Amino acid sequence: MSRLLYPLVKAATYKAVAFYVAQLAVGAVAFALLIAGWTITLVFAITPLVVPLLIGLRVAVGLLAQAQAGLTRGLLGVDVQTPASTAGTGFWSRGFNVLGDRMFWKQQAHLLLALPTALIPLVFFAEAGELITSPIWARWVEGFEVWWIEVDSFASALPFAGAGLVLLVVSVHLLGPCARFSRWLASRLLSGDPGPVRSPAELRARRLQALTVDALVSTCVIVVLVAIWALTSGDYFWPIWPMLALALVVGIPGWVVLVLERPEVSRLALGSHTLAIQIGVSAVLCCFLVGVWAVTSNGYFWPIWPALGLALLAGVHAAVVYGRRAHRIEELEETRAGAVSVQETELRRIERDLHDGAQARLVALGMSIGMAEEKLRTDPEGAIALLAEARTGAREALEELRDLARGIHPPILTDRGLEAAIAALAARSPVPVTVSVAVAARPPAAVETAAYFVVAETLANAIKYAGAARIDIRISHANGSLVAEVADDGRGGADPSGNGLTGLEQRVRALDGRLRVASPAGGPTTVRAELPCA
Amino acid sequence: MRVVIAEDLALLRDGLTRLLRDNGFDVVAAVEEGNALLRVIATEKPDIAIVDIRLPPTFRDEGVRAALEARRRSPGTAILVVSQYVEQTYATELLADGRGGVGYLLKDRIMDVADFVDAVRRVAEGGTALDPEVVSQLFSRRRDGPLERLTPRELEVLGLMAEGRSNTGIARALVLTVGAVEKHIARILDKLDLPPAESDHRRVLAVLTYVQDQPPS
Repeated sequence: MSRLLYPLVKAATYKAVAFYVAQLAVGAVAFALLIAGWTITLVFAITPLVVPLLIGLRVAVGLLAQAQAGLTRGLLGVDVQTPASTAGTGFWSRGFNVLGDRMFWKQQAHLLLALPTALIPLVFFAEAGELITSPIWARWVEGFEVWWIEVDSFASALPFAGAGLVLLVVSVHLLGPCARFSRWLASRLLSGDPGPVRSPAELRARRLQALTVDALVSTCVIVVLVAIWALTSGDYFWPIWPMLALALVVGIPGWVVLVLERPEVSRLALGSHTLAIQIGVSAVLCCFLVGVWAVTSNGYFWPIWPALGLALLAGVHAAVVYGRRAHRIEELEETRAGAVSVQETELRRIERDLHDGAQARLVALGMSIGMAEEKLRTDPEGAIALLAEARTGAREALEELRDLARGIHPPILTDRGLEAAIAALAARSPVPVTVSVAVAARPPAAVETAAYFVVAETLANAIKYAGAARIDIRISHANGSLVAEVADDGRGGADPSGNGLTGLEQRVRALDGRLRVASPAGGPTTVRAELPCA
Repeated sequence: MRVVIAEDLALLRDGLTRLLRDNGFDVVAAVEEGNALLRVIATEKPDIAIVDIRLPPTFRDEGVRAALEARRRSPGTAILVVSQYVEQTYATELLADGRGGVGYLLKDRIMDVADFVDAVRRVAEGGTALDPEVVSQLFSRRRDGPLERLTPRELEVLGLMAEGRSNTGIARALVLTVGAVEKHIARILDKLDLPPAESDHRRVLAVLTYVQDQPPS
């Protein structure tokens, strides 16, 4: 019995139901889109309009497939690899390659299959729902029928409700095989080769190349069309239409490339790439509409309305960018003040250490040597004693300088990186420490140093104050940030506003990171620093 | 005894050369970086190479890498690594081949000329010389390997062995008789399951166990 009902308490069951409900919606949208899209595309198949239509269809199918991949990943737990994006390829090459793109056909197949695969399990659930609620229907609905049998009283509906419960259990067990099939389908049809990882330089080169190809092909098309027009000596200059359309096709990516290549352009737009692109694209669209207006009527200046709308959108975007900027400035001012104060305290400490330590020792050393020099002839024994003293002084000065240097930047961190430096810290600890480091590439030096000091300081606190019996250090990567976490089983009660932790927090925040301290009285204590690596 | 030196700071290079020559060593070459060191080790076949850890071009751990490479190319090359700081990690790496002829000292120790010269000779002859600082780093940590079996006194003796002291030296440092030290050492070697072999080699293996806190492989 418990095995029979077990799926009812499993999260996977509810996730699968959610998946099929969402799949039903996506499938319906996709079905309508594919029917309408292909009909229109086929109607215009022999005109040049087929190229933008195909591109539009490709983009829409890609987006819907992405949504499906997200659903599959989140609700069914399959790792669907996102296929390589076609971003950065030009208009013409994209248009001509749509039909040969195997991913395009696979994605369409998956979109079309969404509806039936979602309907099968959901129909079972709907039927079960109807049966279970049949006593209510029978009471309130006149002439209510189940399976062509009229049910008119509460009592006569009860067997149907029982059958509904049985059907519900059956449907829940049916979900497993359905989900397995959907997983298999997604991994066959949605998963694609993610393509090579391209360096920023490569992407730039590809974008520029695509733009050049687009400009050249478009110019050729225009030249051919104008030649046809001239040869047929028509009165109406119809090639203006493809000219306008192609100006749009070249103008928009052209502007995007300009913004990305020349940072000074986006500096004019509050330093935001997206805002600069939006303004430029809006301007190109306005020019296109004014062109259309000029070619057609010259009457009522209707492009003013879309222009106003685009201006409004750009204004809203600018306000958002501006607000965010103001917030960021505030934050930067605060963290910079923190960083400056950390640095100031550090420098003062170093200065004091040097002054009272190594410097004083060197002065004493010089004095000992000077006195030894004088005594050398008259009292060689005394001179030897003084020189021995000088040697001790020199060694002590070196020791102090070494400790100082370690506090500024530990040498092993420079030499071998975070993993080795933390392993060295752990090896020296009198308390058992486990270290797990899962970081692929070496993070930036400043991040590494901050992470090291967070770990070193927290480790020292755990040993010194918390009386911990075991400590776990975890270094990992999450969402572009380096995460350093130190957990101990000590007595807790660490004060986040204490000197040490405030200093650490300022260090972390200066790098736009966050430091979180969880240390209830009685323990355990967890200190977690997240440091963005961008 | 023929010595080569790899040290990028001219002041220290010249000082070290002078100090070694005054003490009867034959300094056959003094170079500035790791690749040059590998070349002179190959051509000069010195009895010992004294190497700084931080060397050009990156000023990280070139010295350790060059030392390991030199020992890989001609096993048994005696190397004494000197540095402004010591790390147990490097000591472990240097000792890992279990052949001896390895030293790792703070530059501070050069000031105690007699001790330093002793250490150079000892390493050249196949012994070890670990800086007391490394030994004290190892001392503070917890132990879960074979070292757990040792008594605190035996650990102390093993630490001094790692520094490279002779039985007489250990006896003097711990105020014991040489006989007592020998007994301790015999027990340590026994507890670490070191096979009876030529005594110098066993000492090196004991030190390696000490540094790694793992049975010698």
